[in-house]
Amino acid sequence: MASTGEMILKASAADMRRGRASREARIVLTIRLAVVGVFFLLWESVSRSGLIFQDVVPSLFAIGQSIIKLLLSAEFWKNLQVTAFETLTALTIGAITGVIAGIVLGANRFIGDAFEPYVYYLSPTPRIILFPIMIMWFGIGLASKIALGALSSFFSIALSTAAGMRQIDKVLIRVGKSFRATSWQMATKIYLPAMRLPVLNGIRLGFGTSLITVLLAETKLSNQGLGYMVMSIYNRFDMAGLYALLVIVFAIAGLGNMLIGRLARE
Amino acid sequence: MSGEKQAALVVDNVSKRFGDAEESVLACDKVSFEVKPGEFVAVIGPSGCGKSTLFNIIGGLLGEYEGDVRVGDVRIDGPHPSIGMVFQEESTFPWRNVIDNVAFPLELRGMDKAQREEKARHFIDLVGLDGFEKRYPAQLSGGMKQRVSIARTLVSQPEILLMDEPFAALDEQTRLLLGDKITQIQQQLKQTTLLITHNLTEAVQLADRIVVMTYRPGRIKRIVNIDLPRPRTSDVVGSDAFGHYVAEIWNDLREEASRGMQDSEATARADRRRV
Repeated sequence: MASTGEMILKASAADMRRGRASREARIVLTIRLAVVGVFFLLWESVSRSGLIFQDVVPSLFAIGQSIIKLLLSAEFWKNLQVTAFETLTALTIGAITGVIAGIVLGANRFIGDAFEPYVYYLSPTPRIILFPIMIMWFGIGLASKIALGALSSFFSIALSTAAGMRQIDKVLIRVGKSFRATSWQMATKIYLPAMRLPVLNGIRLGFGTSLITVLLAETKLSNQGLGYMVMSIYNRFDMAGLYALLVIVFAIAGLGNMLIGRLARE
Repeated sequence: MSGEKQAALVVDNVSKRFGDAEESVLACDKVSFEVKPGEFVAVIGPSGCGKSTLFNIIGGLLGEYEGDVRVGDVRIDGPHPSIGMVFQEESTFPWRNVIDNVAFPLELRGMDKAQREEKARHFIDLVGLDGFEKRYPAQLSGGMKQRVSIARTLVSQPEILLMDEPFAALDEQTRLLLGDKITQIQQQLKQTTLLITHNLTEAVQLADRIVVMTYRPGRIKRIVNIDLPRPRTSDVVGSDAFGHYVAEIWNDLREEASRGMQDSEATARADRRRV
């Protein structure tokens, strides 16, 4: 009887929360759309005013046209494939090595104390300065971009895995022990699920940094990939095409981020 | 008559010292008592009486100690299948819903899904959480989460239920009501139970016997039999006999608690001087 009472109380409280939350969500969505609308409006008015050289700020219509043209060209898809392959391979390598390194750093206080400062202080340095070295080691093809991308995602993944390892609620480990879980059961049923969020968050950040690094490397020295494509369009001074490509790259990066984020929430 | 039954759990001359040769604390000092089958025993004492140490030793999470803790003929030096622990901290798995939380020990044993869910459901009913099977801990109140933990431990059908202040984080009313639930379950299952607590009314409300501990080093000050009628409900807190027991035990406890308080105040003063 007490439990039905509790259930009703709980349910109505949850409904109220949900109601408030949906109202807030609507307002947030409106603001988001308004930001985009205002931005488009400003852009278009600057473009038409002629205050800035028209070719530098092309009209939205021209950019839209270029987006369609790009999406229909074989060249774009070929380059996208190259960049996607480089980024995902880099992320996979970075994630595997990063998670392993993070577990070692997080599990052992001694090793953590000894090595973590290096990981921590090296992580914000821009990896692109290592590009010449990667070219010397791996050549000017895809391998050097993958190596650089892997290196850049490694740090954030290792750090967040190590943090996740340390943040595990100690009582959950005691619960596992009290039920006499084997080491394998402890790893798969307690440590891994407890660490899933920080690890996936690290991978999300790693995806961002490896995509940035790969694109940056492609603009420097490459004959394929989206970064290369940006530079070649720029050299033709096709501003609408350049903006169109940037919009597509933003969309891809956002989509990738969202996918990993959704995976984390699942 | 019950004195002739073999004890379910024997704590025999148990001592535990923490720290090194230079600075050490004697947490437990020659503690001995027994818990008979079906009996509800509470261990009560002020903070710093080594209750939690005792809990960890009996639960097998603290393998090195002097003396013996025995279940049957086995000396405890690691987690034992006959002992089920319920922790003071909130200890449900946040990524599992209620039924998967409760079924956890059965899953470890490799029981198939249908069978373990059926068993889990039975114990979820028992703690009064039917209807909440698919909820996640974040959607439950503190008292409900603690009941999930209790069901999770009961599902493994331990001979001895070992609880460390399971209601410490709850308010007094919830605590009394959950106490009713515990009494009811304990009588229904004839569950041998050892409860570690610092809450006097809780101990008198629930226990057949109360082991009163002293402040550091934790020794047994006295063992009190609680002859309140069973089946018992929280109504018992209004009775004269209840008040009598509380007053009697508080008399012992006050001395120990004030020693503990003076000690921690002295430490705080010393720390301040050092700073």
